[in-house]
Amino acid sequence: MTNPAMRDMGNSKHLDVLAVGKAFKGTPVMSDMDFRVGRGELVSLLGPSGCGKTTLLRIIAGLTPADTGEVMLDGRAITTVPAHRRNISVVFQSYALFPHLTVAENVAFGLRARGVDKAACGSKVSEALALVRMSDFADRPVAALSGGQQQRVAVARALIVDPVLLLLDEPFSALDRKLRETMQVELKTLLRARNMTAIFVTHDQDEAMGVSDRIAVMSAGKIEQFATPADLYARPSSAFVMGFVGLSTRLTGKVVAATAERITIKTAHGLVIAPGKFAKGTEVTIGVRPELIRTEPGENTLSVTLADAMVLGSKTQLHGRAEDPDRLLCELPGMRSSFAPGEIVTFGWSVADTLVYEAKT
Amino acid sequence: MSGRAERIGLLALPGLSFLAVIYALPLFMLLLKSFQIDGEFSVAEYVTFFGDDYNLSVLWRTLRVALLTTCLALIIAYPTAIIMARAKGIWLSIFLVAMVLPMSVGVIVKAFAWTILFRTRGVLNDTLMSLGSTDAPIRRLFTETALIIGAANVFLPFMVLPIYAVLRQMDSRLPEAAVSLGATPVFRFMNVTLPLSLPGVVAGCAFTFSLAISMYVIPSLIVGERQQTLSMLTGRSFLYLRNEALGATISSILLIIAISVVLGSSWLASRLGARQ
Repeated sequence: MTNPAMRDMGNSKHLDVLAVGKAFKGTPVMSDMDFRVGRGELVSLLGPSGCGKTTLLRIIAGLTPADTGEVMLDGRAITTVPAHRRNISVVFQSYALFPHLTVAENVAFGLRARGVDKAACGSKVSEALALVRMSDFADRPVAALSGGQQQRVAVARALIVDPVLLLLDEPFSALDRKLRETMQVELKTLLRARNMTAIFVTHDQDEAMGVSDRIAVMSAGKIEQFATPADLYARPSSAFVMGFVGLSTRLTGKVVAATAERITIKTAHGLVIAPGKFAKGTEVTIGVRPELIRTEPGENTLSVTLADAMVLGSKTQLHGRAEDPDRLLCELPGMRSSFAPGEIVTFGWSVADTLVYEAKT
Repeated sequence: MSGRAERIGLLALPGLSFLAVIYALPLFMLLLKSFQIDGEFSVAEYVTFFGDDYNLSVLWRTLRVALLTTCLALIIAYPTAIIMARAKGIWLSIFLVAMVLPMSVGVIVKAFAWTILFRTRGVLNDTLMSLGSTDAPIRRLFTETALIIGAANVFLPFMVLPIYAVLRQMDSRLPEAAVSLGATPVFRFMNVTLPLSLPGVVAGCAFTFSLAISMYVIPSLIVGERQQTLSMLTGRSFLYLRNEALGATISSILLIIAISVVLGSSWLASRLGARQ
């Protein structure tokens, strides 16, 4: 967490969401939501659809009113400030470019809304278009643009007004995979260069890991964990986070022995030792990241019958036979074509790499 | 491929032939008649028509009434269409029924209902007098104002529905994008909602103007014979004066106005559409 902390000048939190609650027609979407973002931080709200991430984004933007709680920007409450006076720009999922305006007119919109006359907009619009490499398209109608070009225009339109905060709702979901990765790098570089504070909403964990300093994993209107991508992956705070961020071997079982530092868990595939303090008899979920597993005996060793061996180029995935909700997965670097389905292999890993959570009843 | 397309094109044949026989042919014969005197080609009827001050005043009144009716309908319809585009569920159904149901009540019934409202000792005058805003009853029936109000009422659905349809289709994120870019409600309306709704406004105005310029029953019932419109003059020429040539001439003038409105509005709509 050193990197974002350095960017966060002083101790002041830039955006502060305090105890925000929201219900739609009596159904609570979120309650007591607390969420803080430092200046210049790139943060992602990551979660499955319906977890409230878009609602939180809309509350911050002022497009949806919060029922309870407070939204603070630089220590000033903006909860009752109307959206058009917040100076928070939004890049929408399908970009919401104005179809009746040209590329340049779209980009100039925010300036004109602030009373800047057409002539004075010119140089700033050219500058913003140059920033996203769209200068040649200034006079085109937006309908003639490809998805990637539309996104660039949407970003230029959002940034031209020098917003205090940039919100992006699933900004890459309309792009194909290759273009998505290019645009992620491009956008991240651009936002970094301007020291822009930005919040991405996404359901794609790769995207969140790629673009953010910190990720807030959300589930059912709550933030499960708010940490750096590395922390989130190595030390997920719950079985939900572990399952949502990255792949893992996942086993369920019951604690059969407990010492001061370690517990022994009986699973359908054998005994597993894990660090932690759980009472004997507790139902637990165990997780191991697949690249930490070797096909040789370790502190924990399981004998696994392969269901499939997938050679993916940079890595090879070994899927073991397991009943839901258990999953046996090992990732080996490089192409390993010597494995065949039905073969019995050894999965071995160290106790320290074993994640363990109390099973939810 | 083209054979199949041609065969599918045959499906339009019944409709087209129906229109040709029932609509285009009689109109063409009418047009022909307006240029004929004793079997000879002549523009004399037109010269006579436009040389007569009374006819010109009727033409001017017809255009003025149609234009004001369209304006009044637009002013009432636009906010209604905005509310309807935002309405959901039961409220939307109520609005749609409220729009469509009055169309099933005949114009004659409505016109007589208005006379109750507008007559000298009618509801409107009684209310105004009891409020003290006027001392003596104001004459409203048999006036152009009453005609415009009545016509705007009858043609309102034809103005509301096209605007509503266009607003309803509009991406709801567009106004939100405008707001997040700092647009005040007025700026957002003027620069996003209004320009995007213009195709609907053009269509609604074309419908309403075309209907208002050719209306016959409503002016006959509300203003009667004292203030003629082109349609009433046409009717009178055919029915009472037995002057078919004059009737045909006036009909042709009405037809030319209607055709220009249709062509002009479709040109405008395609221009607006091309930008989007």
